[in-house]
Amino acid sequence: MPQPFTRRHFLNMVGAAGGSAAVLQAAVALGLMPSGAEAHTPRAELMPLGRNGRSVVVLGAGLSGLVCAYELERAGYDVTVIEASKRIGGRNMTVRSGDLIDEMGNPQICQFDDHPNLYMNCGPARIPAHHSNVLHYCKTLNVPLEVFVNVNYHAYVQDPDAFGGRPIRMREYMADARGFMTELAAKAISQPDFDAPFSAEDMERFLAFLRAYGDLDPNLLYKGSARAGYASGGMTEPPTLKPPLDFSEILKSSFWRFRMHWGEGEDQAAPLMQAVGGNDNIVKGFVRNIRSRIVTGAPVQSITLREDGVDVVYDDRGRPRQVSADYCFNCIPKHLLHGIPNNFPVEYSTAMANVGRGKLFKIGLQMRERFWERENIYGGISWTNQDVEQIWYPSHGIHGDKGVMLGAYVFNDETNDRLARLSQAERIEVAVRAGEQIHPDYRKYVETGVTIAWHRMNYLMGCTAKWTEEARERYFKTLQDPVGRHYLIGDQVSYHPGWQEGAISSAHHALADLDQRVRAEMGHSATGAA
Amino acid sequence: MMSTTLRRLTATLGLLAGMAATAGAEAAPRPDGPVLAPESLRYCAVCHGVELMGNFAVDAPKLAGLPAWYVTRQLEAFRNGWRGAHADDATGMEMRPQAAVLEPDQLQAAVRYVESVPARHVPVTVSGDLKRGQAQYQACAVCHGAAAEGNAALNAPPLAGQSDWYLRRQLEHFRSGARGANPGDTQGALMRASVTTLADDQAIDDVVAYITSLQQPH
Repeated sequence: MPQPFTRRHFLNMVGAAGGSAAVLQAAVALGLMPSGAEAHTPRAELMPLGRNGRSVVVLGAGLSGLVCAYELERAGYDVTVIEASKRIGGRNMTVRSGDLIDEMGNPQICQFDDHPNLYMNCGPARIPAHHSNVLHYCKTLNVPLEVFVNVNYHAYVQDPDAFGGRPIRMREYMADARGFMTELAAKAISQPDFDAPFSAEDMERFLAFLRAYGDLDPNLLYKGSARAGYASGGMTEPPTLKPPLDFSEILKSSFWRFRMHWGEGEDQAAPLMQAVGGNDNIVKGFVRNIRSRIVTGAPVQSITLREDGVDVVYDDRGRPRQVSADYCFNCIPKHLLHGIPNNFPVEYSTAMANVGRGKLFKIGLQMRERFWERENIYGGISWTNQDVEQIWYPSHGIHGDKGVMLGAYVFNDETNDRLARLSQAERIEVAVRAGEQIHPDYRKYVETGVTIAWHRMNYLMGCTAKWTEEARERYFKTLQDPVGRHYLIGDQVSYHPGWQEGAISSAHHALADLDQRVRAEMGHSATGAA
Repeated sequence: MMSTTLRRLTATLGLLAGMAATAGAEAAPRPDGPVLAPESLRYCAVCHGVELMGNFAVDAPKLAGLPAWYVTRQLEAFRNGWRGAHADDATGMEMRPQAAVLEPDQLQAAVRYVESVPARHVPVTVSGDLKRGQAQYQACAVCHGAAAEGNAALNAPPLAGQSDWYLRRQLEHFRSGARGANPGDTQGALMRASVTTLADDQAIDDVVAYITSLQQPH
């Protein structure tokens, strides 16, 4: 009896004919997917293989590897995951009381109190609302989320070069900067000889826009704004506006260069989320739902591409053990993969060796009191142009006894190198001193700290892949495409390095490609997927 | 191991790549299986590669083939800050903390581990004029040997078979004082005096290319 022709049949046929992009378009047309998803790689709809499944060896139990294992085993593939570290999750790492921070030459044990609120997300810490793949898995794997405060107008801007180094509330800086800017713009366009590129009516609207944007008075002058917060009063006493800051000092601060606009970035705009209890709950969600074997503490020793498969030798508790599989999905950091014997084509190895490895440094400090809440700060980031760059206040555990702050989050390579060369005590001291410039009593609250130098972490030795434009042009496609039956995956092979969404999208991209191949190999008709 | 074709391809890609360095894998899989790192020394292989064949992508040199006496001395140099403490020695500074945390028995185990791995060929990445390099090398041969096989009696390590990009960087460091200028590093001081015979970058490339051409087949 003929089976009913379902929407799924139709999508499978479209997939066979036009690939995953066509499936996505068709799915959107059928109303199965929101059209806003087109900016991101769709989740792969893998053809279920039943018992005659192919085998896949996944190297690396980072997020992209876990996604592959999860999706592949559900489609009937025989999956083995091999992870060098004893810890699963790659750079999705949350540290709590007693956890090892396996830094090369500086192993640390986290001394935070054993309390559910006292943890540090060492890697991914925020989930943007448009990272629909991460959110999909959080939902599917029952990983509860909560709101993460990324921008806090009550947090501080601190710059030794401006305001005598005095920390300024972000709202004050921003309100006054806008006020001065719009007042100047209003003055300039109100000049009788101003050659407006638009009509008089538009000009009126634009002046009104400027007035609203900068909170100017009816004479188009900036006299301060409640947006900056009141100097006093406002409840039972009449409110008094703060006198505007000195515009020249505002300009001296480097805050306007990018930090002021941070919260408007594609991946930084509110609202963002985090997993309740630590972002490694995403990793745990995968591990709970993966039945395939995940071998940990098993560094890969060689990768040999064959015509019809891939052989992988790994260190199985002191003995070399070989796994042979039809396909290999590999999220080992490309710069470490280069040191593993292989028979990859020269251009593939060359590409791996020539994409930079990023550096990133974070310091977590357990504070004996949540002193920042007494300063009206609940979550968010204070910015400084000292070495630590930013300090974060926890979004969770509000009004609890203690909290773990992020005492440093450093992007700058030179600073990252310098901090990594310091001893543990010196690193913490750098963070404490910087914090004192923003919160004078900072030091007395610090109980213990951890430092994470991602470019020194065992089995990683790097953070986000550093793609220059030239490297993108020359090597990206080489690394994104499979070589034989080997797929390099992970955020390293995405346009979103350093984001979980990049890792998952890369995994989905590779899975979609595998699916096409297997369909072709099996000469499979689309209806087989029913 | 490295075929003429591969060598030629490497050279061609190197020219095309400009700044980018080109090398294939540091090593091919061995049919008889790898020598595994002892559990507590797995750190070594993370950067220096499986069987310590080096890894250009993280600036970690090949250790396979180095004699025990030299490895011991260099680990001590790192621990004492003779190496890896100079502001211009970024990669040395990466090594130093790792050497510093080794317990004495781990240090000895590390040396044994280096001795236990087979020395194999590494890809060629530096090109130079072999004739000029050979002429330059005659002064080096006095200590390091005609085949760059090293001479323990003179504290001169073997050079043939070492990653060429590493040899180049060390010669540059000896020249600049990033290595060999620390008073504790007496052997390094000898070497620092010796590199004055290499007039410029081209001379370094030439001599490194020559040394690399002396790799013995294994």
